Amino acid sequence: MARTFVTMAGVAALAGVLAALSGPAMAQYPDRPIKMIVPWAAGGDTDNIFRPFAVEFQKHLGQPVVIANVGGASGTVGAREAQKSAPDGYTVYAMHDYIHLTFYAGISDVKYSDFEPVCLVAATPSVLTASAKTPWKTWQELADDAKKRPGEITVGATLGSTSHIFPAMIEKAAGIKFKFVSYDGLAPRMNALLGGHINLTDSNLTQKGKVEAAVLRFIAIASEKRDPEAPDVPTLKELGMNIVYEVARGVMVPKGTPAPVRAKLEEACAKAVKEPSFAQAMKLQGTRVAYLSAIDYAQFLARIDGESKTIMTDLGLIKK
Amino acid sequence: MLDLLANGLVNIAQWKYLLPLFAGTFIGVIGGALPGVTITMTVIVVLPFTYGLDPLAGLAAMTGVYVGGSTGGLIAACLLGIPGSPASIATTFDGFPMARNGEPGRAIWLGVWASVWGGLLGALFLVFLTGPLAAIALEFGPWEYFSLFVLAMAMVAGLTEASLLKGLLSTAIGLLITVVGHDPIGSVPRFTFGSEFVGGGFPFLPVLIGVFAFAQIMTDLEKLNGPRGQPVPSLVGVKLERFSHLGVNLEIFKRPFLLAWSTIVGLIIGILPAIGGSASSVMAYDQARKFSKTPERFGKGHPEGIIASEASNNANVSGSLMTIMAFGIPGDAVTAVMLGAMTIHGIQSGPLFISQNPDIAYGIYAAYILAHPCMLLICIALMPLMLRVTSVRMAVLAPVVLVLCVVGAYALNNTMQSVYVLLLFGVIGYVLVKLGFPLAPLILGLILGDQIEINLVRAIMTDPSPWLFLTRPISGGLLVAAALSVALAIWQHLRHQKRVAEEEPDF
Repeated sequence: MARTFVTMAGVAALAGVLAALSGPAMAQYPDRPIKMIVPWAAGGDTDNIFRPFAVEFQKHLGQPVVIANVGGASGTVGAREAQKSAPDGYTVYAMHDYIHLTFYAGISDVKYSDFEPVCLVAATPSVLTASAKTPWKTWQELADDAKKRPGEITVGATLGSTSHIFPAMIEKAAGIKFKFVSYDGLAPRMNALLGGHINLTDSNLTQKGKVEAAVLRFIAIASEKRDPEAPDVPTLKELGMNIVYEVARGVMVPKGTPAPVRAKLEEACAKAVKEPSFAQAMKLQGTRVAYLSAIDYAQFLARIDGESKTIMTDLGLIKK
Repeated sequence: MLDLLANGLVNIAQWKYLLPLFAGTFIGVIGGALPGVTITMTVIVVLPFTYGLDPLAGLAAMTGVYVGGSTGGLIAACLLGIPGSPASIATTFDGFPMARNGEPGRAIWLGVWASVWGGLLGALFLVFLTGPLAAIALEFGPWEYFSLFVLAMAMVAGLTEASLLKGLLSTAIGLLITVVGHDPIGSVPRFTFGSEFVGGGFPFLPVLIGVFAFAQIMTDLEKLNGPRGQPVPSLVGVKLERFSHLGVNLEIFKRPFLLAWSTIVGLIIGILPAIGGSASSVMAYDQARKFSKTPERFGKGHPEGIIASEASNNANVSGSLMTIMAFGIPGDAVTAVMLGAMTIHGIQSGPLFISQNPDIAYGIYAAYILAHPCMLLICIALMPLMLRVTSVRMAVLAPVVLVLCVVGAYALNNTMQSVYVLLLFGVIGYVLVKLGFPLAPLILGLILGDQIEINLVRAIMTDPSPWLFLTRPISGGLLVAAALSVALAIWQHLRHQKRVAEEEPDF
């Protein structure tokens, strides 16, 4: 009797395994968790924006979205991993504008066109940020000091990426010279800035908590108008520099991902960005929700790619 | 402050927090015990389940995973000689020999109790000294990190019994492995020979599993068919010995200085971002051996080795929690996930976190403290079962462990690349063991390689003067300590050799 039971149980278990194995061929996408590659260290701004997004995204996809922080080499390690992933919709890539820059800087041969756009999610204006261990309270003090000591003020940056280009644009507009030091991702830059191991960096309003605690200072924001979340921070335009610089973040999938899968992802993304809790989370991050559909995002990417090439040529950083 | 902590403890003691904490600790112990499953992977698996909970419940669950995982690793380390998680590498040095000598229970319970006391001692620092201690972490610039890593490698190289040279060579091999692939700053391909396989570099975890698990199991298997066809003294068929918790605790508290110092080492390494439990356990082990009156007993099942390693890797958790509490900057992947969980719930992290969210901050402290008794209860419940592993025949155990290792490696990125890396380094590890090379220095070199390079480049980019490594006080002190560490290791080797020569004149 006991033996029969064991055999029966065995058969049942085997049937279960077989059903599980044959499942994926018939089941609807997605039927297992989806990996979202964030090409930066955890706790940075990209991470802080995509984590709340992933929560809403998975709600509308019906499967968990697991964030994998694949940092290193100016975000190109994650880009390369995403590019090489199977185009089955189970790996999505949390991208931002750096992809154009690292390509033209010759750091990576991965291009935005190696991916298919799904949707644009958010845009965050860049903020020039100083360590509290520096003497400058205003842009003017910083600019005067920089003119006296060309090439001595250190800027922590992800080389060849947005955090490198943004201060480089300021250098050009103000006629000053910084010294760039490689710090990949915002979280390590914050550590170095708090310790005074670098003087300046590109950050954004996600770091507002540290400004309130007076361990760092926002010098100027690169938006059209002052941000209601930080009304005391002047825009670069007010200071006489015609620089508006936002980092746009969206979702991409490897080229060759089937159209129905992309449509499913786009639909979930469109719903996710409309969630009030996502809007609230983005407000805290000093970021505006900036949804674009796949078609519009493709045009946006082509436009930014052209602009990036121009900027990189202007700054003399272009390698290809 | 004490009343806030008391509030936190009372708060966490409610079922809605205690249950997630207990569940998290349980999953952590299991995840930690499985070789190839890291604490980071476990916490990522747990994360989606916490979305629906209130923030503190989710954070309590994750704190539980962190504490449980830091302890769980010692189970595989003692019973199989394979570190269940990277943080328990140093536990294999003495835990496994002790288990082989017929005392697996003593080995494990020394580890568990050392974890409990190390963790709770760490909690004292976490609650009362977070501010000042975390401020030390900010003083560490690229120069200090570089020098600290040099010290860590000098320490571990000196640990080896046989030869300092082989220890240093093993470290160098570890560093060389990290050079392969795209460089971490400019993404320039190095030693890839144009191959896709090599281009991705060698990810740390498959190499760790390959080197430790494969090499360990292969040497075990070859001993099974030893010259006389007899299983050599191994865990196979060992009867469970009698041990008492009181006895184990007495063994720990007979060495208060060892416990305290290992805790402090773990704590300091934990505060510094991007280093992690593996380095802290190895460094504490080294310190224990250097300060010990009986350094020659290390590596043969000495309780001091187990206490040092396990006390420090649990104290490491409290250190990691400090940076995130004080500045909102995650020190490692696990605290990064915790930070992510706070972001999801709209809690602003940063230097004002503790004063703006005292309920959550002291809730996390309380969860950290209460995770230790939870972990102890779980271990008491699980251990009789776990210890049965020692009575499983090697012919059955080895394939199961190997399959788990391969699955673990594959699950890292869902690519076969990791499995091939594991295979390659299994062979390399086996060859190195045969040639008498210690493996721990290789692993530490591998863990720290990228960080050493990045910090060296950062230091030079900030200021080209190489003298800064010596003239900055912390950095200079660390480099001097590194030199002393190697010198002391040489001296201990010489003394040991002399003593061996005196003791055995009739050879």
